[in-house]
Amino acid sequence: MHQFTIKPLVPLHLGGFDVSFTNQSLLMVIVVLAASLFLTLAVKPNRLVPTRGQSMAEMSYEFVANMIHSSTGEDGLKFFPFVFTLFIFVLLANFFGMVPGSFTITSQIAVTFALASLVILAVIVTGFMKHGIGFLKLFVPHAPLPLLFLLVPIEVISFLTRPISLSVRLFANMLAGHTMLAVFGGFVVALGAAGGVLSVMAVAPMMLIVAIMLLELLVAFLQAYVFAILTCIYLNEALHLHDHH
Amino acid sequence: MAEGAHTETTGVPAEHEAAGFPPFDTTTFPSQLFWLAITFAFLFTVLWKVAGPKINLAITNRRGTINGAIAEAGKARADAEAAQAAYETALAGARSRGNALAEETRQKLNAEIAKAKSDADAQAAQAMSAAEARIGQTRESAKAHVKTAARDAAIAIVERLTGDKVSAEDASAALGKN
Repeated sequence: MHQFTIKPLVPLHLGGFDVSFTNQSLLMVIVVLAASLFLTLAVKPNRLVPTRGQSMAEMSYEFVANMIHSSTGEDGLKFFPFVFTLFIFVLLANFFGMVPGSFTITSQIAVTFALASLVILAVIVTGFMKHGIGFLKLFVPHAPLPLLFLLVPIEVISFLTRPISLSVRLFANMLAGHTMLAVFGGFVVALGAAGGVLSVMAVAPMMLIVAIMLLELLVAFLQAYVFAILTCIYLNEALHLHDHH
Repeated sequence: MAEGAHTETTGVPAEHEAAGFPPFDTTTFPSQLFWLAITFAFLFTVLWKVAGPKINLAITNRRGTINGAIAEAGKARADAEAAQAAYETALAGARSRGNALAEETRQKLNAEIAKAKSDADAQAAQAMSAAEARIGQTRESAKAHVKTAARDAAIAIVERLTGDKVSAEDASAALGKN
């Protein structure tokens, strides 16, 4: 489990809290700087034919813009900076974590839960700002009255578990992927050290690692996408309650 | 493992960390949240204020240029189509004018030919009637010559047979009886 261990690099205390600059903080800084520099420097507004880098930046921009537009409609686009930041942050955190020897920011429940809470906070604030107390109608689906006694608690519970499901989904995926890689890596070492025929058999888990690595790259993108699209869906509910646009 | 190093900096008892699974180690939470807040806020600000508008501008610029080019191409196409239509109109006009001219020329030539033909016919008819008159005249004079020759021959025969000298008038009268 050492790949999930947070190691302080620069000890730092603030108001009684240990806010040391750790290997995770370092990866956060790298991710954020890489994203900022790439998305800013790769793009020149007057370039008619985009370079490869600009194409990627524009593609990620339009990908998120289309995601928001298709799930929340026109008025959801004011959340673009927020959803774009979430998507880019989670995506790059997942991808940078794939580099051997680095650290996966999103394999920490504290980080994913903080991000998920931020999303739910945004949903609640948006909902009450847009609908006032009427936002609570979110918990009352269109159903006959007797059923509501059952459905309202279900709706409330499902709303309350959202930050948990949102954060645990990302955290568990990252954790499981990296653990699996570590386990198969352990097999390779153990078999290789065993000598004889067993050493030759070490190739099998090695090939499996390559396959899992590819799968993890997919998962890294997919989880960032899932996180962003669920954010959009929750924001859509806050904006439009149950009336499907 | 970094437990030892961590313990030194945090002062949290080692057993607390060693017991746990790293992601559930609450002693690291303040640091995680602190740096997450800083880095996430930084990225949010950059994407919101700099990168987002820049990328958006690039996309809008390109879309504008492309739409402008498409509109321009559409205009050029409309121009070309108008030019072709004008060309076809001019061509059709020229063709009909040419046909009219050809028709006119043909009719003029036909008229000229007909006139020349009728002139020639008239000339020929005139020449023919003149020739017929001349033939008639010649025939008359030849007839006259024959009469004179017959009278002279009759006078000579009578003179030889009878020795009488018959006058020309008598001979003509005698010949005229027959």
